[in-house]
Amino acid sequence: MDKLSGSFVSLISKQGITAVAIAVVLCIIIALFNKKKGRKMSTKTVVAIGVGAALYAALSAISIPVGPNTSFRIAIALLPIFGAFFGPAAGFLIGFIGHALNDAFMYGNIWWSWVFLSAMMGLFGGFVCFDRKFDPLNGICTKVHIGLMYLWSLIGMFVGSVIAYLGDVYLYGEPSEKLFVQITAANLSNLVVIAVIGIPAVILIAKSKARNQGLKKDF
Amino acid sequence: MSKSGSLYIERDSLFHGLDGSIKLLMLIAWTGFVFAFMDARVFLGMILIGLGILKLSKLPAKAIWPLFVFIFVFTLFNSVFLLLITPEYGSKLTGSYTDLISLGVYSITLETVFYCFTLSLKYIAIMPITILFLFTTHPSNFASSLNRVGVPYRIAYAVSIALRYIPDVKTEVENIINAQEARGVAFRKGDAGLGTRLKNYATVMVPLLLSSFNRIEVVSNAMDLRGFGKNKSRTWYQRKKYTGLDMSFAALSFAVLAAGIVIKLTIGAVYWYPF
Amino acid sequence: MKSVVFEDVSFQYGNLDQPTLHHIDLVIDEGEKVLITGKSGSGKSTLAHCINGLIPFTYKGEFKGRVLVNGKEPSQLSLFAMGTQVGSILQDQDCQFVGLSAGEDVAFALENDCVAPEEMQVAVDIALQQVDMLPHKNHPPQSLSGGQKQKVAIAGILAMDVPILLFDEPLANLDPASGKKAMETILDIHGKTGKTIIVIEHRIEDVLEHGFDRVVVVDDGKIVFNGTPDRLLAEDVLPGYGLRQPLYVEMLKLCGVAAREEDRISVLENTVKYKDQVLKKYMEDRFTDQRPNNRTILKLQGVSFRYFKEDPYTIEDVSFDVKEGEMLAIVGNNGAGKSTLLKAISGIAKYQNGSIYYGAENQQGEAGNESSSSPVGMQRIDTWTAKQRALAIGFVMQNPNHMITKDMIYDEVAFGLRNFGVGKEETDRRVKEALKICGLYEYRNWPVSSLSYGQKKRVTIASILSMGPKVIILDEPTAGQDYTSYREFMSYLDQIKCSGIGIILITHDMHLALEYADSGVVLSGGRVIAKDYMDRILADNWIIGKANLKHTSIERMGRLFGVEDLSSFIAYFTRRVTSKTCAETGSGKSESRQAAAEREEVSHE
Repeated sequence: MDKLSGSFVSLISKQGITAVAIAVVLCIIIALFNKKKGRKMSTKTVVAIGVGAALYAALSAISIPVGPNTSFRIAIALLPIFGAFFGPAAGFLIGFIGHALNDAFMYGNIWWSWVFLSAMMGLFGGFVCFDRKFDPLNGICTKVHIGLMYLWSLIGMFVGSVIAYLGDVYLYGEPSEKLFVQITAANLSNLVVIAVIGIPAVILIAKSKARNQGLKKDF
Repeated sequence: MSKSGSLYIERDSLFHGLDGSIKLLMLIAWTGFVFAFMDARVFLGMILIGLGILKLSKLPAKAIWPLFVFIFVFTLFNSVFLLLITPEYGSKLTGSYTDLISLGVYSITLETVFYCFTLSLKYIAIMPITILFLFTTHPSNFASSLNRVGVPYRIAYAVSIALRYIPDVKTEVENIINAQEARGVAFRKGDAGLGTRLKNYATVMVPLLLSSFNRIEVVSNAMDLRGFGKNKSRTWYQRKKYTGLDMSFAALSFAVLAAGIVIKLTIGAVYWYPF
Repeated sequence: MKSVVFEDVSFQYGNLDQPTLHHIDLVIDEGEKVLITGKSGSGKSTLAHCINGLIPFTYKGEFKGRVLVNGKEPSQLSLFAMGTQVGSILQDQDCQFVGLSAGEDVAFALENDCVAPEEMQVAVDIALQQVDMLPHKNHPPQSLSGGQKQKVAIAGILAMDVPILLFDEPLANLDPASGKKAMETILDIHGKTGKTIIVIEHRIEDVLEHGFDRVVVVDDGKIVFNGTPDRLLAEDVLPGYGLRQPLYVEMLKLCGVAAREEDRISVLENTVKYKDQVLKKYMEDRFTDQRPNNRTILKLQGVSFRYFKEDPYTIEDVSFDVKEGEMLAIVGNNGAGKSTLLKAISGIAKYQNGSIYYGAENQQGEAGNESSSSPVGMQRIDTWTAKQRALAIGFVMQNPNHMITKDMIYDEVAFGLRNFGVGKEETDRRVKEALKICGLYEYRNWPVSSLSYGQKKRVTIASILSMGPKVIILDEPTAGQDYTSYREFMSYLDQIKCSGIGIILITHDMHLALEYADSGVVLSGGRVIAKDYMDRILADNWIIGKANLKHTSIERMGRLFGVEDLSSFIAYFTRRVTSKTCAETGSGKSESRQAAAEREEVSHE
C-alpha cells in the first residue's frame, strides 16, 4: 500500500482508467450475451428490470443494522433472485438502476462505485441461467443449481468488490485499508442476506411451481 | 418525496428550461471533473459554483436542505471511520507527521484530518449537480434524456418503468408486511432477535415476488399490445428540440470535462496540502 | 364485414394437460357490441387472447383451427400488426397504465410508432378530450382513481385508431359508480365511432343494463350460448353455468314470471307489465325479516386519523358498533377512507383521536359505577399494537396471494399460532377446526399452489380464524371471484358469523352488502354519513348520490312500480332471493325491525 500512496500521482489516472475499463468491458460482455441469443431485449425483460429496480428501491428502506456502518439490506436479496429468474442482463441492470435511483432519491448523491457492486451481484447471480435446464418458474431447480447460485453469487461479490474498491480508491480517493474493512463488512452482511433470504426464495418459488401430482384428500 | 415518488419541483428557471439530457451531460462532466482532483481549493470552488447554480434554479432551500444535512452527517461518520482505521493515511501521502491525538501505537495526524476534510468536500462537491438534475427534471424526461445521451431505449424505458412502479411496489411491500405482522411475525427491533427478524423477511419475499412476477407479465403484455419494441427507435412525447441554450450548456460541459482531463495530464492531480 | 371469425378453434396451453378451448365457432360483425361471459377458468380470457394476438405470440401452445381478425390471420402477422387491429384494455388499471402521466400514457403507442412529438401532442389532446380527461393530462397515475386510469387507457387505445376494442373485465377493480361511468364511456365511444366492442366480464347485470347486441356464454372451453340478451334472460341460461342473472330477473323468476324473448326483459322498463304479479307476491308472502341483536363486541368512538399533521383527516370522527354474530358492511366510493379505517382498526395506523373498545359488552351492568366513558365489560385497546390486536381482531386482505407465505395448507393455517407460541396440540386442534369450518379439512396436506383463487381465499380466512379472533375484517372479500365461488365463499362466512364472530366487510359490491350484511356503515369523505340496514341505505337517493353508490335494479324496479316503502321492497326481495339468517339456524337473538331501526341513529341531515 505504501507503494501506491507514494506514487499516487502517476498511478491515479492509470488505475482509475482500469476501473472504468473493467466496467465498460463487462457492459460489453452483457451486450454480447444479449446479441448471442439472437434477439433484442424482450419487453418482458425490460419490465422485469423496471419492476425489479422499483422493488430494489422500495426494499432499500428496510435495513437491519448489525454494527457500525453495516446493516443487513433486504434489497440485496433481490439481485440473485431476479438474476436467476430473468437472466444476467436483467440482474445487472436491476442492481445498477435500482441502486442508483435509490441513492439519488434518498441521498441526492450517487455512490457510483458501490452501484457496481450491486450490479455485479445481479449479473453473476444470473449466470446460473447458462444451464438451460434451470427453470425455477416451472419447478426445476436441482441441488446442483442451488450450489451454482451460491458459487456465482460469491464470484459476483468478489468481482463487484474489486470494482467498488478500485472506484472508491481511485475516483473518490478513499484509503484502501479503510475500504478493505468496509467492503469486507458489506460482503459478509450481503452474504447473510443472500443465504437467508435470496437463494431460499428462489428454491421456495421453484417448489411452489412444481407440478402437483397424485394429490389425495385426507378425510 | 412527494406522493408520486419524484423529487421534481416545478419552477420557472433557466435550469428547468434545459433539456434533461443536457443536465445529464452536465452531471457526467461535473462528476468526472470532481473525480479527477484531490484538492480542497478546487472542491470549495465547485461547491460555491454549485450553490450558485442551485440558487439560480430557484429551488426552495427547505426541499434541498435535508440532503445537505445528510451528506454532512455522512461525511462526518466517514471521516471518523477513516481516522480510526487509517489515522496516518494523510501523512503517508505528504510525508510529514504532525501528531494531534495519540492512539497508542498510532496517532491521528493533522495531515489525515485535513485529508478527511478534503474528502468530505469532494463528496459534497459532487452533490449540487445531482440535486439540480433530480429536482429540476420531470421524471417523465428521465428516460428520454438517458436515451438521448446514448442509452438504448429499451434500457431507458426500464428506468421509466421503475419510476412508475416505485410507489405501487412500496404500498404492496407495506401491505404484505402489515398482514404478516398481524399474524405475529416480528419485524421490529425488540420483538425478536436479529436472526429471526431477518428470516421473517424471507417469509414476505415469496408473496412479494410472486405478485411482482404477475405484475411483470401483465405490464409486458400491455406494452406488447401497444407496440413497445416495434421499431429500432422510438419517439418521446415529452421530448423537445434542443435550443441554443441547450447547445451552449452542452459545449460548456464538454469543455469542463476536457479541462479536467488536460489539467490532470499536465499538472497532475496531487493531494493538495497547504501546511 | 366480419370483425372476428373463429373457425373450429381449439387451444391447449403448453404447460397444461388439457385443452382450454374446444372447437370454437364464432362470428362477430363490424360495429357489434358483444359481451363474452363465463365463470373463472371457463376459457373466456383465452378467447380474448386469441383475438388480440397474445395467442399465438406470447402464450405458446397447441393451436388448431383458424382465427380471422378483420379478415387476416393473426398467426400470419405479428403481435405488433395485431396491435393495429385490436385495442386491448386489461383488467388491472395499474398494469395497463405504464406512463408517468396521463398524457404520456396515451402517447405510449404513438411513441412506439415513432410519431413526431408535435403531432403526438395534438393526437393526445384529442383522445383525452374524447374521454373527458383533458384536465388531468399532466397528472401522475398515483393521483388518479381507478376509473380515471381506465379512461386514460381507453384514450390510449383511441389514439391508436383501431377498429376493434377489446375490454378484459373492465369492471373488476372499480367501485359501482365508476364502473357505470366506464360502461357509459365505452358506449359513448361506440356511438361516436361505430367501432366493434367486445367486453369480457362476469358481472353481467352491470354490462347488460347498457344495451348490448349479443351475449356469448363460454363454459368449460365451449360456447354454450350465443344470442341476444333478451333470449339469454328468457331462456334462463345463466344459472346453469354458475353465472348470476341480473337481480331484477331473479326477482321476476321468484314471482313466477315466465318471460319470452319478445318480452325484451333485458331492458328493465319493459318489466312494468309484470307489476301486478310482482306486487301480489310481495303483499301475500308474509316474510318476517329478523335481524340479530346481540352484544356489542367492537366499538369505535370518534376515531380520526390523518397521515400528516398538516393534512386534513383521512377519516374523521368515525363511530359505530359491531355486534357478535353480525355482518357489517362498510361501503363508500374509492377514496372515502375505507382502507384507512381498516388500518386504524387493525392497529397499523395510529389514530390521533377517538377510542376503540373491544370485548363483550355487558348491558345489564350498572353503568356509571366505574369510569363512565368506557362501556361496561369492554376494554379500551388504543394502545394495543397491531400484533397484540391480531388475536382479537383478524384482518383478511383482498388478495390472498399477499397473505400466503407457506407452501402447505396446514402450515399456512398454523403459521400465526406458531408465531404466538401456542402449544403443539392446541395448534393442531385449532387448525383442524378452522379448516373444517372453511371446508378445507380434506385438503390439509395439499400444497397451497394446487388450490383455486377462491379456495386460497378460504385458506386465508382459516389462517385468521385459527387465531381465535372475535372480530374479522375482510377487505373486498369477493373481488376476483366468479358468482359460484362467491356464493360458496359467502356461505362459509355466514357460518362463521353464526358462530358468534362479528364480521366487517369492506366492499363496494352493493349486491354483496345487500344480500349478506345485517347492517351497513356508509363512508364519504372520511366521515360516516349513514348507519343503517343496507336496504334502507340503498333506498335513499341522498346517500347513494353522496357516497357514489349505485342504485340496485330491485330499487329501480320498485320505483318503476311505484312502491312506497322501497326499503321493505328491497329487503324482501334480496333476503327472499338469497340469504338465510342465523335466527333460522337457531343462534342469535332477534328483535322487531321497528325497535332496531329506532335504536340505530342515522346521522345525515
